[in-house]
Amino acid sequence: MDADTVAQLLDILQRYVFNVANLQGMLRLATPVALAGLCALITSRAGILNIAGEGMILFGAWFAVAGSYFFESALAGVLAAMLSGAVIGGLFALFSLRFRAHIIIMGIAINIFAVAATIFMTRVVFGQAGAFADPRIVGLHPIDIPIIKDIPFLGPVLSGHSIIIYLTWILVALTTVFLYRTPWGLHLRAVGENPHAAEALGINVERIRFGAVMASGVFASLAGVYLALGHLQMFTDQMSAGRGFIGMAVNTFGGGEPIGVFLSSLLFGFVDTIGWRLQGERLIPVYFISMLPYVATLLALTAFTLHRERARKAALANSNNGEEQQED
Amino acid sequence: MSNTDKSSTQASQSGVLATLQRSLRGILQGSVSILLSILAAMVVGSIIMAWHGQNPLEIYGLLFKGAFGSQRSIFISIQRATPLVFTAIASTLAFRTGVFNVGVEGQFFIGAICGTFVGYAFKLPLIIHLPLTLLVGFLGGALWAYFPTIMRQRLGISEIITTIMTNYIATFLISYLTNYPMRDTLTTPETPPVHESARLVQFVELNENLGKGSQAHVGIFIALAVVAAMYFIFKYTKLGYEWRMVGISFPFSEFGGMDLDRTFISGMLVSGGIAGLGGIVEILGVWREYKNLFAIGFGFRGNLAALLGGQTILGSTVAALFYGSMEAGALGLEWAAGVPRQLIDVIVGLIIFFMAAPGMWAFVRRIRWARPSEEVRRTTKELEV
Repeated sequence: MDADTVAQLLDILQRYVFNVANLQGMLRLATPVALAGLCALITSRAGILNIAGEGMILFGAWFAVAGSYFFESALAGVLAAMLSGAVIGGLFALFSLRFRAHIIIMGIAINIFAVAATIFMTRVVFGQAGAFADPRIVGLHPIDIPIIKDIPFLGPVLSGHSIIIYLTWILVALTTVFLYRTPWGLHLRAVGENPHAAEALGINVERIRFGAVMASGVFASLAGVYLALGHLQMFTDQMSAGRGFIGMAVNTFGGGEPIGVFLSSLLFGFVDTIGWRLQGERLIPVYFISMLPYVATLLALTAFTLHRERARKAALANSNNGEEQQED
Repeated sequence: MSNTDKSSTQASQSGVLATLQRSLRGILQGSVSILLSILAAMVVGSIIMAWHGQNPLEIYGLLFKGAFGSQRSIFISIQRATPLVFTAIASTLAFRTGVFNVGVEGQFFIGAICGTFVGYAFKLPLIIHLPLTLLVGFLGGALWAYFPTIMRQRLGISEIITTIMTNYIATFLISYLTNYPMRDTLTTPETPPVHESARLVQFVELNENLGKGSQAHVGIFIALAVVAAMYFIFKYTKLGYEWRMVGISFPFSEFGGMDLDRTFISGMLVSGGIAGLGGIVEILGVWREYKNLFAIGFGFRGNLAALLGGQTILGSTVAALFYGSMEAGALGLEWAAGVPRQLIDVIVGLIIFFMAAPGMWAFVRRIRWARPSEEVRRTTKELEV
């Protein structure tokens, strides 16, 4: 490769991949996915398969808009959404843990119910169909971080985002601390790994799981807040667009670790950003770009699982060899 | 007290009577909890309506009138229920095989678009064209179910995530197809109309007085044939037995010598196929061309209907017919009283929440009709003897 081609490649890379706008876009698009991933994480670590994240995000988005509209304050929107997440998480936990409803059936029902209920509420409360936007909905203002914002390249990338983005970073750190540095986190992991042993140790399994599901509701509702108030101040029917499920996938790639979830969500945001950048080029029809996150999720899940299978087989082969050697 | 004493002595005298009594009580308790669930959901619905400033009784009256009030409304109910029967049966089959196929929605769309292509692209005599179109619809749905199935079978990836992802991919793929390669006119994204020879006849085309003002079509008979076939397969064939057993217990089925892969994959593919068949039947009967995103939500409503019907073939069919007619009623309600038609989805969702929680009714029974303690002691003694 001669210098010219390299320069051209670098130019293409910089124009389409590594520039400030793309990195900003990556952080933005990654945020709801990261929050959905935390929602999946906290329940999966407690040994619960919570597939209702999608519906919880949708409710969160709706209540964020409603709270912001009626109280004309973004904070009220955030609080209303978090409350809705806790309440729906609580009801979900009550039905599936206490009343023994099948948790997957319950999750499917909540997801479908959320779509119908939010459309219904938008029409009844706001009298609008399809989408609801109003000047009275106060959005979340971007926040400039004092010193960082003046650093040349990093400044524009890291500073000037909505508060939910920073909150997500903090929550990722807090979740790590919670899981590994607090007795509650230890209990939660114990419940997830072996509920019977945890119970024998005197841990109240149901209470821990109840708390985990409610926390997952709050995480999901924050993802909803970001979708509804982050950039455009509006609610659109089905605006969660599968992010609850992508969050579950991200939790799988991340190995159930908060930091892993965060990094995989960044990867995800990156793919998404590149897609939107390509759209501006009009190379391929927009539908294929819209498909990208879902195709990427499927491909990544496949690749990840294949890799894990291979690693497991290799480990198995190794241990077999070891045994044979011992026998010798 | 004396009454229960008597019945318990009788029960101990005759084992048959006891069994009968137990099963009767089971059925009664089952239907009581379904009825209670419906009632509870209707009460919640009433509260919503009252809060919205409407008289719940009047709204429910309009709902039932819209569903069953006239010949026309009955035919609209049939029209709305037809695709739901397919998607409900597809969901039931998958759920019973132990697969949470929430991709019925996407399989419905893909079946519809594949069939539509055969419907407009080829000119064939009716006797070949119609069955071929239906078959391609079935195969399209099955193909779309194939990827998630293989991902779960080979790699153990949760079908819930993959089927949802394939739903989104299906909608964008179809948007592309109807906007570019299959587009007929410049004005709207839709395919050319399906040839006469591939259409399913609407009742109103047979006889002007039959279902005037509706688009109900003979596809309902195909739906009922699928129900009958599935009922037969589930109840009387080896394949149906294997499907049910795999859903109940994997280890047991394997121990029983079943080919798990084949059973599982065939169950999922047939489920997708039935969903696809539903899609193409809806196109051939009602729309006669593929309008982009012509009918969102039939798949998900089918999922709900399967849950509502307790995941049995007959139960799901009844639930789908009920759901379809309630939807027809809700459409009428929207025109008459301005109540959003999603009301019915909300109420059905609530019914499922209440139904899905057997523990809740046990909980309610415990608080309100606590059994006297001596009765409990007596049953324990019976068990010990």
